[in-house]
Amino acid sequence: MIGLDVGSTTAKIVLLHEGNVTKSKVVPSHRWQELVDADIDEMQIISTGYFRKKVPHRDAITEITAAIFGVKYHFPETQMIVDIGGQDTKVIDLRNNSFLINDKCSAGTGAFLELAAHYFDIPVASLGELHNRVREGAQINNTCGVFAISEMISQLVKGYTMEEVVHGIHQAFARRISQMIPPTEKVTMIGGTVLNTGILDAMNSILNSKIKVPPEPQLINALGAALYGEQKVLK
Amino acid sequence: MTKTVGITALIPPELIYACHWQPFDVNNIVPTSHTSPRSKLCAWTAVWRDMILDGGMYLDSLVVVAGGDCHNALVDGQKVAMSGKPTHYFFYPFDRDPEYMESQLLHLTEFLGGIKETGMFKQVWDLKQKGKALDRLRVEDRVRASDVFSALISFSDLQGDPVAFEKCLDNILRTNVEYSSRVALIGVPPIYPDFHEVAESLGLHIVYDELPYEFIRLGGGDLRSIARSYRDYSFSGPIETRIKVIKRELDKRNVDGVIHYTQFACHHTLEDEIFREYLDYPILTVQGDLPRPTPEQIVLRLEAFSEMLEVST
Ligand code: SF4
Repeated sequence: MIGLDVGSTTAKIVLLHEGNVTKSKVVPSHRWQELVDADIDEMQIISTGYFRKKVPHRDAITEITAAIFGVKYHFPETQMIVDIGGQDTKVIDLRNNSFLINDKCSAGTGAFLELAAHYFDIPVASLGELHNRVREGAQINNTCGVFAISEMISQLVKGYTMEEVVHGIHQAFARRISQMIPPTEKVTMIGGTVLNTGILDAMNSILNSKIKVPPEPQLINALGAALYGEQKVLK
Repeated sequence: MTKTVGITALIPPELIYACHWQPFDVNNIVPTSHTSPRSKLCAWTAVWRDMILDGGMYLDSLVVVAGGDCHNALVDGQKVAMSGKPTHYFFYPFDRDPEYMESQLLHLTEFLGGIKETGMFKQVWDLKQKGKALDRLRVEDRVRASDVFSALISFSDLQGDPVAFEKCLDNILRTNVEYSSRVALIGVPPIYPDFHEVAESLGLHIVYDELPYEFIRLGGGDLRSIARSYRDYSFSGPIETRIKVIKRELDKRNVDGVIHYTQFACHHTLEDEIFREYLDYPILTVQGDLPRPTPEQIVLRLEAFSEMLEVST
């Protein structure tokens, strides 16, 4: 079975054979076609993500269902899934089958971190490393993306270093997401943004818990789509 | 020619007809309008306000329900009044006082020139029985929820012509509805005209529309009994009563989940956490803003909710 997750920024594929991942790949979304080469059978594909209905598929499922299947594969006891995407953030409460999606505001989504990185003219991937260089960040109070950026600039004017400001940005980002999460202990975070160790550190300190992150967190929805295919479609 | 009075929320249409006026629920054209309001909190009130002020909707006068089910309409109603349109304000009693309700209905009839004939009370009552029958048919999966919703929502003004409206009700297609889950829709009606169709296309059979159901449930044969019936209009009173009514209906209609539609800048939005605490069902909250076809982000939520209900049942 094949899981194809074409999201707003990246496209991912996971090939699954009897419950084991045999191959996977990530490319930018606009190049998703590179993932579906000649030896791939459309009837084997379960697609998910923003473009799920625009790509070849046998069945298309939402990212919510894909995330549930994918996360349970690694951590069956998970109660809460936090999926930080490029354009939105989803919180899925597995205890009562409910979910929240924040997509009205860029704060708390990958887009916000892109904006901050763009301001400093550094790659997003290096934000985590800057974060870890300091123990305390500059205070950023605003949870609105636009205000947070201007607040970040005034903290730089006050004399805070880039590292401290980045640290503060991650705290503000995590605070914003934590407001969406009902009290629970067993939280799993997925999505490419969790590769940023600064975000994970900030989330852990705010939620005061040990958040689990599966291996290759950006591939979980593609994996989940493939698992859904094996368990629900092939049956 | 019969004059038209705009109504901004539920008031007994039988009374308006009895005064020989034609009611026109100004909300019913909001979902398909292309007006982008100049200033707004809630788009429902801002759109009818602008349409009346710009001449896009012609009315002889307006009745603003300024207390009870909507607390936002007051200022937009006053803007219309200040333009010179004869305007009357109507308030539901939060404490359910029947005398107060009766006095509000009396003021309303005075504004409309007094009751001319009471035959309409019975005619509207008969129509409501048809509405209830239709509502039952959808619970039994024999009528599409989108058709029932459009019919029930019109019980606020009977589309200005009770005779033609009755034909409309009779012509609704009987069919076998197929679906994956049964859901209830609570809160104010969605501002998206195709919301019910979208839900339907995703396998969600909406077997309860909270507010339109209230429209057909209320009646009465004379002013006193109308007052007693309408003061129980659950949407205009304390939320505890609403929760009781909703719970009873969810149970009776055997639903798998609840969709709570909330409107941007509507005070009812604040009720979401109360429902989440008191209703023991999977709940999906969706929020709309401007009238337009259901946006993709909302479709995604409905689709995910449908998948979740299916996987868990
Ligand atoms: S959505 Fe709320 S604020 Fe808007 S008209 Fe309806 S009740 Fe009033």
